Amino acid sequence: MPNMTRREFVYLGAATGAVLAAGAALPLAILTRDAEGNAVGAAVFFPEKRVASLGDLEIGVPVMFDYPFEGQASMLVKLGEQVPNGIGPDGDVVAFSRICTHMGCELTGYQAEHQVLGPCPCHFSTFDLIHGGQVVLGQATQSLPQIMISLDGETINANAVVGLVYGYADTLDEGVNA
Amino acid sequence: MTAESTSIPLPPANAKESIICCEYCPVACGYKVYTWDLGTQGGPAAADNALGVDFPTELLSGRWISETMHTTTIVDGELKNVIVVPDGDIEVVNVGGTHSVRGGALAKKLYNPNGLTNDRFLYPMLRVQGNLVPISWEAAIDLVARLSQYTLDNFDELAWGMKIYSYQFYENVYAASKLAFGDIGTPNYSPHHAPAEGDDVPGLSDCGIDAFSAAFEDDKEADVLFISGSDPYETKTVRFTTWQQPGGAKIIYVDPRKTFTAAYAEANGGIHLQLMPGTDTCLYNAISREIITQGWEDAEFIAANAASRTELDGEGSWRRQMFGLSFNEYRDFLFSNDDFTLQGAESETGVPADKIRAAAEMMTGGTGPRPKATILFEKGVYWSHNYENTASIGSMAVLIGSSGQPGRAISRMGGHQRGGQKAAGYPMDKSPHEYKGNKVEMDTERWFAEGKTRFRWIVGTNWIGAMGASRALAAAAERLTSVGPPVTSTDPDLAYAALTERMDNGGTVIVHQEIYENDSTPFADIILAAGAWGEDNYARNNAERRLRLYEKIADPPGEAKSDWEIFAAVGKAMGFAGYDWADTNEIFEEAAPRSSGGRRDYVALVEKAQADGVRGHDLLRTFGTKGLQTPISLEGGEFVETVRQHADFTFKSNSGKANFVLSDWEAVKERNAILGPVDDELWVTNGRVNALWNNLSDFTRRRISQDRWPMNFLEISPNDATARNIVSGDLLSIESDNVLDQLGNKTKGGFTAVAYVSDIVPDGVTYSYFLYPKQPANSVTPGDSNLQPINLRYNFKLGKGRIKKIGTTELTETMSFAPRNLVPG
Ligand code: SF4
Ligand code: FES
Repeated sequence: MPNMTRREFVYLGAATGAVLAAGAALPLAILTRDAEGNAVGAAVFFPEKRVASLGDLEIGVPVMFDYPFEGQASMLVKLGEQVPNGIGPDGDVVAFSRICTHMGCELTGYQAEHQVLGPCPCHFSTFDLIHGGQVVLGQATQSLPQIMISLDGETINANAVVGLVYGYADTLDEGVNA
Repeated sequence: MTAESTSIPLPPANAKESIICCEYCPVACGYKVYTWDLGTQGGPAAADNALGVDFPTELLSGRWISETMHTTTIVDGELKNVIVVPDGDIEVVNVGGTHSVRGGALAKKLYNPNGLTNDRFLYPMLRVQGNLVPISWEAAIDLVARLSQYTLDNFDELAWGMKIYSYQFYENVYAASKLAFGDIGTPNYSPHHAPAEGDDVPGLSDCGIDAFSAAFEDDKEADVLFISGSDPYETKTVRFTTWQQPGGAKIIYVDPRKTFTAAYAEANGGIHLQLMPGTDTCLYNAISREIITQGWEDAEFIAANAASRTELDGEGSWRRQMFGLSFNEYRDFLFSNDDFTLQGAESETGVPADKIRAAAEMMTGGTGPRPKATILFEKGVYWSHNYENTASIGSMAVLIGSSGQPGRAISRMGGHQRGGQKAAGYPMDKSPHEYKGNKVEMDTERWFAEGKTRFRWIVGTNWIGAMGASRALAAAAERLTSVGPPVTSTDPDLAYAALTERMDNGGTVIVHQEIYENDSTPFADIILAAGAWGEDNYARNNAERRLRLYEKIADPPGEAKSDWEIFAAVGKAMGFAGYDWADTNEIFEEAAPRSSGGRRDYVALVEKAQADGVRGHDLLRTFGTKGLQTPISLEGGEFVETVRQHADFTFKSNSGKANFVLSDWEAVKERNAILGPVDDELWVTNGRVNALWNNLSDFTRRRISQDRWPMNFLEISPNDATARNIVSGDLLSIESDNVLDQLGNKTKGGFTAVAYVSDIVPDGVTYSYFLYPKQPANSVTPGDSNLQPINLRYNFKLGKGRIKKIGTTELTETMSFAPRNLVPG
């Protein structure tokens, strides 16, 4: 589902429960902001996107994909260790945004030995993927947004992003690029 | 799944803009603050938001707003939206709006009545029968003033003490020191980080070199950076990411730990000199001796700029008389001790001889062209063996001509920013402490523990946790505040009667002026609720002497008052004149003449402001987050700034020359024998980590830092961990029966921490956060300033203890234990 716009998300939101050709949008209880800037619970809607097949995964070898928009670099990896939010028979498959939450550089180096993503080429932030993308060392002020994934048979789908992606005022709003 | 915010409110185009600099490290990055009404928001198009940028913003834009950059706080009595974002337009310091993990969450520092900072002190309090209860400001000021007067009338000014931050803005430090030095005239005054006033880097000062002489651009200009006792990536972050790393200098990194910067240095053509704690003096002297042996010293610089014996004999200060050396004397000193040979130094410091030699060659270019070498250092150097380490590193700089030239300098990197603008000189003649017949600044903690301080005013510091042998100091505080009858009423007269009776019985009254409760609060009789960063207009310098205005962006919470207002109110109540300031600008202008001739000299700014009929603060405001690099002067109506000091090769000595300075390594060895680990003890050294800042008053109220560091930690090597059956995540006790306290007695100290097994530390050395609440690493560091009698400092870095597993934690589930020294391959 390439380059979804705000309007399409709204449409998908309205169509909750309907099965669309590209997959269903899952409503997700998540924090957003009210007009006063307070964090409040709200349902927001993300596209579903097929990102990998379970049988193709090897421990420690990442699969790269973009989500929710084109150009929003993300990755999925089988960590080899069960973690909260991990899926698959071993509970060890997770996905994260690869856009550094410091100043937006793209994270490339997954280090399987330590299960970390980084150091970022720009200012060396490193993120721990067995601890929800926590900053191990570095200048980012939030964990890496985690991509929530689900299993449909052998197919792994991306369903939502938890957290604010660098550059955006709203993870689901393409802003002036819409 | 953790619920996370997926959006951030944008400031509308009409949001109010203010300037401020970061509160934390001495880099002092420039920030902008936008304030707007609740219920309104800007839009993602540039024209629709105050940042003037399209969202999503570009990579490295310096204009993105992370969740941690937003809060709601009280401004002019109303709850408002506030964002604190790096200044994307800045061309100095944090060029282009970069920031660290600390500064990137400055908004979360502000008082938010609905957030994690809502436990600020809101009003003054008095301890009545064990509990702190609110009282009026009138009663609080009256009590502090009367108790102060009682101390002066019935004891003397040495019995009246103040312990206070050295850095929290010119205006506050000026007001405090006007009262303490100017009117009360006490030597019982010490900064947050030391038992005594005075120079933190006396050895370097005796070389004639200013501690903050370099500019950040020197780091970029240099070919070689010799960095000792401070990890710049972790603790002076933007200086590393904006100035050091992009400059491409080879880094010689000196640290017992293989930190990120150590690993980065080694991966990029530099050298890590991994010395054992307490051996810096030997290492620097061995490098210097090798340089002389090879003839690699800067003979031209030395001939032109180093003082001769005759010139040294004309020096006024006793320290320079005692320790100053000419070049020939310095050479003879280095060649008189076999520990300074390459082999000798290897066995003393643990650093391989070939690395010492390689460092000497890299710094000087060996037989090739001379590179530009800059030497930078901080607390690992001067909180170890203060005088000897700063003398030997300073002398090394003189030897290779690293001062006053682009890319060739020696400087402290700084611990905090520079706000110590005093109103009067320290009354040295009244100090009771001496070294070989020469007065040195009074050890206020020894004086306190001896029961000679009757009234002590603790301002903006976690005093107990921040001092060596902190458990012994806490015991002294407990003892001295338990004397006499308790206060049983909020009636000021009854409270006064009880507290003065305590003083008469040999006890001490503690006043604590703070923003939050901390480990020292339990000993407080009176709490004065203070304002903080962003709650008044203030001025301060950074580590390259850049003076900026920090604008008021929020109200102090509740009835809290700015520190200067509290000092002024007490000064007036005691009948002293000159405390009628209407605002901080009046203090800023009054303080200017006191900066004359020093590194902070901003006399020209105030003179021009007054000539132009504007306020000093307002003129400084026009220079935005760029500010002015002091000392400044005026030429043809324009300010002339000072990029680096000593550029004309004039040094801060009587002769104007630079000095070599003796560093008594044999005395250091004796001290190491007293302080070092015995039996199954390990070194327990301490310092900062990237995501935390100082006493954590902000950082225990910030989710990101609490997720990362929910308790104090102890880095321990894999071998030392295995030998003790320890794995990451275990709960450890760190204990020593051999901690020298303020009176020089052996006492017990200890704290707990979670194990972080890591090859960052070598075998035999562990590392902890230095000031974690309730888990004070300083309980196993020495509190005996007699160990360093030249200027009464603590060997904070030289703690030790037995490490034992006492349980497990569940932290491995939520806290990362991944390596913290991974560098790009
Ligand atoms: S590098 Fe220092 S001054 Fe800059 S944002 Fe970080 S803590 Fe603040
Ligand atoms: S952009 Fe990744 S650390 Fe700065």
